[in-house]
Amino acid sequence: MVMKTALSCHLWGGVGGHGSLELGRWPSLSLSSQGLEEGISQITSKSQDARRALVWNFPIDVTFKSTNPYGWPQIVLSVYGPDVFGNDVVRGYGAVHVPLSPGRHKKTIPMFVPESTSKLQKFTSWFMGRRPEYTDPKVVAQGEGREVTRVRSQGFVTLLFNVVTKDMRKLGYDTGPPDTQGVSGPSPPQGLPR
Amino acid sequence: MAEVHVIGQIMGATGFSESSLFCKWGVHTGAAWKLLSGVREGQTQVDTPQIGDMAYWSHPIDLHFATKGLQGWPRLHLQVWSQDSFGRCQLAGYGFCHVPSSPGTHQLDCPTWRPLGSWREQLARAFVGGGPQLLHGDAIYSGADRYRLHTTSGGTVHLELSLLLRHFDRYGVEC
Repeated sequence: MVMKTALSCHLWGGVGGHGSLELGRWPSLSLSSQGLEEGISQITSKSQDARRALVWNFPIDVTFKSTNPYGWPQIVLSVYGPDVFGNDVVRGYGAVHVPLSPGRHKKTIPMFVPESTSKLQKFTSWFMGRRPEYTDPKVVAQGEGREVTRVRSQGFVTLLFNVVTKDMRKLGYDTGPPDTQGVSGPSPPQGLPR
Repeated sequence: MAEVHVIGQIMGATGFSESSLFCKWGVHTGAAWKLLSGVREGQTQVDTPQIGDMAYWSHPIDLHFATKGLQGWPRLHLQVWSQDSFGRCQLAGYGFCHVPSSPGTHQLDCPTWRPLGSWREQLARAFVGGGPQLLHGDAIYSGADRYRLHTTSGGTVHLELSLLLRHFDRYGVEC
């Protein structure tokens, strides 16, 4: 079956942590995308007021095309920050699927870091400034190979998506009711989500 | 044939007394369903939460089914285990939930339970660890022979699943 028209998904919005963004690949028959798929934000420090917020406000504007929803794009975040010695160490990895239904979506995702195997390794890595990290952060977007990793979850990042889809209904796909969840706009996270 | 895409994440778990948790998950379907792409089962990472009590896994699920009938709608079954600092694993709970049947994004909270055992086994579990486990995993998602079990409740597993249905209206199915 040949699908003449393609599915495409535009997304733009802001990201609130210091971090690099990678948009996971859509590994299907004909992948094409426009816009930057990877980016690195500025370095931000906590605000001085009571919110203690970390704001990047990083713009993302990307279009994907595919013939099959399998392998729907995910956004993978890696957050880095300086430790007490001034080295840049990884503070968290996180991933979330780009929302499937058109509209505005606000997602707060948890961030986790790989944990050292032993207390000695933990101390050595703290001292030397070389913490355990993934060689390829895209591992976070996959399910395979995760069962042997031990991680520590610490912190959250908030993302705001505006999603537009094209020709999904024409190809027979039903994405359900558009759910905007009454999201008003970018705002810093108010404490913990749960 | 109608198609179903299940795209989402096993986000994490709350309410368990142990802190380093991981989840073994699987999807069971009836005979009319065929898995076209994706992995049907897997195991998440082991997470030790530093903030709050929710263990976060963020484990992606991406499944593509083709189906000829509605019987045997996919069921997601879960086993939550805890791992201690020595690497030993102990069962924390079993749970299952049906994959939602309406398209869109759904937040699912799946409660879990674990077999209780005799008072000797409960005492042993408190001190040494271990404890009874199910011999056959299908008791988690089927109702047969449940009456023999005496269980206690575990925590809750949180999932966010988005469902994409294709050609269901061609067959007159409303969902």
